[in-house]
Amino acid sequence: MFIINCPYCGERDQTEFSSGGEAHIVRPKQPTELSDDEWAEFLFMRKNIKGIQFERWNHSHGCRKWFNVVRDTSNDKIHAVYKMGEKPPANK
Amino acid sequence: MLNFETTVQDSKSYGDLTLSEVEPILKINLRSNKREFSTKIGKLLSIIPPIEANTSSSNEDYSILWLSPDEWLIYSNNKISYEQQNLLEENLFKNISNMNQGSVTNVTDHWVMINLKGFKIYDLLSKSSPYDFKNFKMKKGSVAQTLLNHTDVILHNIDDNNLNLFVRRSFSEDLWLWINDSARFL
Repeated sequence: MFIINCPYCGERDQTEFSSGGEAHIVRPKQPTELSDDEWAEFLFMRKNIKGIQFERWNHSHGCRKWFNVVRDTSNDKIHAVYKMGEKPPANK
Repeated sequence: MLNFETTVQDSKSYGDLTLSEVEPILKINLRSNKREFSTKIGKLLSIIPPIEANTSSSNEDYSILWLSPDEWLIYSNNKISYEQQNLLEENLFKNISNMNQGSVTNVTDHWVMINLKGFKIYDLLSKSSPYDFKNFKMKKGSVAQTLLNHTDVILHNIDDNNLNLFVRRSFSEDLWLWINDSARFL
């Protein structure tokens, strides 16, 4: 359990949120030109690292907005929260 | 045809804690990210949708609750007939939706409003909510969207130890039973 600082509503318990997985995965510009392996790489393969990870979260039981979180997966410490479309903070 | 049948038919008291469903109340959901939207609502209802998160604005007849940066819930402070509700909805729809200023959805049948009154309401809510009520109960007009017994609710602090709770109709009976069950042990 941890607290997430929603950029719209403020600090709320984690149970109000849903995780949307890794952030900043860019959709290929020409999906038809990709091989099956390359498409699967984009669609399914995620880093799932131990350490600092960039993630998408949704405040599903609150304002229902998506945003990005920089979280250390080893201790659930949240280093930064920023809105969709914003650039990830440097030196994280 | 909207379904206004409610499963919560009664009003209950446990010590100084009073629980009752309030209806018929108008509830309208508004969504917009247009700049002129606020002034339009201001002209129509003499009330401006709040921009600050977790707040509300009220006048004698209506309250507008902040739900997200582009979403609000209007509800009537007093009971009004379904005919009057339809007139107001039509007026908003004509001036907002038809003018491409946002969307107006009548959610009167979607939400059930339960009024909770008494010194122990926050003890009751804290039994099964992850929300920290410390700031909420200090500030009149605060709004919170959170979970209560795993059910989505909207809470509106209307006065000291007096709040309105909105729950979806299909979950209302379950939550009502849970509230009553928990209130007995306060």
